[in-house]
Amino acid sequence: MAGSATSAIEVIGRGHPWLSLAPALCVIAVLFGGGLVLGLAGSFGMGRGGAGVDAWIAVLSEGRVWRSLGLSLWIAFASTALACLIGLGAALLLRRRFPGQGLARLLFQINLTIPHAVGALGILWLLSQSGFVSRLSAGAGLIDGPAGFPALTQDRFAIGIIAHYVWKEVPFIGLILLANMQSLGDDPESAARSLGASPFAAMRLVLLPLLMPALIRAGAIVFAFSFGAWEVPVLLGQSAPVALPVLAWQRFTDPDLATRPEAMAIAMLIALVAALLIRVAMVRR
Amino acid sequence: MTRMMTAIGALLIAGTAQAQDGDALLAMSWDEIVETARGGEVNIFMWGGADTINAYVSDYIGGILADEYDITLNRVPLADTAEAVNIVLGEVEAGAGMDDGAVDMIWINGENFRTMKQGDLVWCGYVDKLPNASLVDFENPAIANDFGVPVEGCEVPWSRVQFAFAHDTARTPEPPRSIPELLDWIEANPGRFTYPAPPDFTGAAFVRHVFTHAAGGADALVGPFDQEKFDAVAADTWEILNGIEPHLWREGVTYPTSITQLQQMFANQEVDLFFTYDPAEIGTAVENGIFPETAMSYGLSDGTLANTNYMAIPVNAANKAAALVTQNLLLSGEAQLEKAQPEIWGAAAVIEPSRASAEVQEGFATLERHPSVVPVEELGQAALPELTPDWTRAIEDGWIRNVGN
Repeated sequence: MAGSATSAIEVIGRGHPWLSLAPALCVIAVLFGGGLVLGLAGSFGMGRGGAGVDAWIAVLSEGRVWRSLGLSLWIAFASTALACLIGLGAALLLRRRFPGQGLARLLFQINLTIPHAVGALGILWLLSQSGFVSRLSAGAGLIDGPAGFPALTQDRFAIGIIAHYVWKEVPFIGLILLANMQSLGDDPESAARSLGASPFAAMRLVLLPLLMPALIRAGAIVFAFSFGAWEVPVLLGQSAPVALPVLAWQRFTDPDLATRPEAMAIAMLIALVAALLIRVAMVRR
Repeated sequence: MTRMMTAIGALLIAGTAQAQDGDALLAMSWDEIVETARGGEVNIFMWGGADTINAYVSDYIGGILADEYDITLNRVPLADTAEAVNIVLGEVEAGAGMDDGAVDMIWINGENFRTMKQGDLVWCGYVDKLPNASLVDFENPAIANDFGVPVEGCEVPWSRVQFAFAHDTARTPEPPRSIPELLDWIEANPGRFTYPAPPDFTGAAFVRHVFTHAAGGADALVGPFDQEKFDAVAADTWEILNGIEPHLWREGVTYPTSITQLQQMFANQEVDLFFTYDPAEIGTAVENGIFPETAMSYGLSDGTLANTNYMAIPVNAANKAAALVTQNLLLSGEAQLEKAQPEIWGAAAVIEPSRASAEVQEGFATLERHPSVVPVEELGQAALPELTPDWTRAIEDGWIRNVGN
């Protein structure tokens, strides 16, 4: 490198990290931060003549909002826990060498490219009371008609929504863990085995703690998404309570303009709760 | 996401469009307005859930605009009309120039129109300029009032619709033909009926039918909102609706969240009755193979709600001249006749055919209707006026609090 001409990018690259981060940070600050600030301003009724905490008081004192928050937390926690558990198990199985391993990995990852809305419609066709499994059961004489099939979509426990998120996020978690294990290599475990640890103990006491940071980060992404996404609960959710993002959207598209600040307050609440919970999970590590 | 993209795209398009001052346009003759509009474009924001309607607007109307006026029609599909109102509101609030808004025209009625009118978001006073406005009977109260809100030249009527039910003659030969009959039928046929939860538009309209029934007829609810009257009628309505709840689909623990979902459930034979605010839809669904050929729409002996839908121009529309030309075209006898053809859309005309050309009159006289669609005249014999937005809002909120929770 010495003696050769240095490009502008290299100069910036060698400079202060903040300087090299500046372009990316600008995009985040303007697009993401700007939206957040406008949303926050909107929740206080700014740009609508007055400014006040009316919308926040209305939202926080409303039973429906709390029920929706409870539902969204249940969806996010259940989806994240199941996806992490199954994703971890799958990654542990897939890292071994076996014939057809490449094909197995491909099949495992294939649904990463499928959009959430498409997956949700698939769940609907598969699991709803007039869906494929229900018709199959009726055809086999297991149930009398569509109504005899258990309600797995638009159901009280959000089974359809959670099933979708688990199906969609298991490969995501698995992929991150597989990449993580590849960079860790076999050495830590081999060392433990050579010192007399059983295979299970080596995994539990050596590999799992090493994987934990990656698992928690991947889980945080899954949590934030399943907590704040709108399209899956709107397609698979029941009419009441609705997930918090669906409630925000309902308020936002209400013909009554007075509900706009409430919509913004609910949206801000989603961001706030997700950020807080993820922060707690990260710090406890 | 796609919606956001189209909205943003439309914003970018509008940014480059030439601004047009509404007052200046109103001072022009019609020929001058047409000349101003020539070579421009018009961005129509409208509910995009029906392929037939989309094709009629994009291909038929868009085609004529392109051929005769050199105007490009951009149709921006919406899931909910309030989204377009939001865009206009955001622009006006942000203090953007008054004549460079992204939205040139909105397919609208009811509460959304009232919101725009109250917020001074809609452009008024141009209706006399449209030559084809003479085909419309603006004295007709059903046209002069949009869900009880006086139109006052702030929007132009486009179609009329009346609520209708539908059944499968092969499965349910004797459907209930009035609200009291329906309530008995639900009890006798547990699990075979449900309705979309308000705020779904069609579901809310169904609840208004029950509300009107509980009030003892539409006459009792005419006029401005009356809290005392509402409280009395609402108490009966919630009692009726909570009473039938155990006999609904899924024992009323949950409701479909959209009319599209109810349509699927009727198609899948999960429920036996369907209803819609646009009976032409039943014919379309049969044509598309979604409903069986034995599906049939019908009215109620105690009447079904009817309303008129309109096209409005936002106060900050960038392409007002092109919007005026488009509105005039939408009102022409030929365009209204085309729209009424069952294979095109099957929407009831808003003009008086007797005021149109002999050819158009002949066309309307020989109009064929899809065998599954109830004749407009038959439905019209028992039409209920829509309630004002104050009523509809109170009913919707009350349902969510007392029935759907």
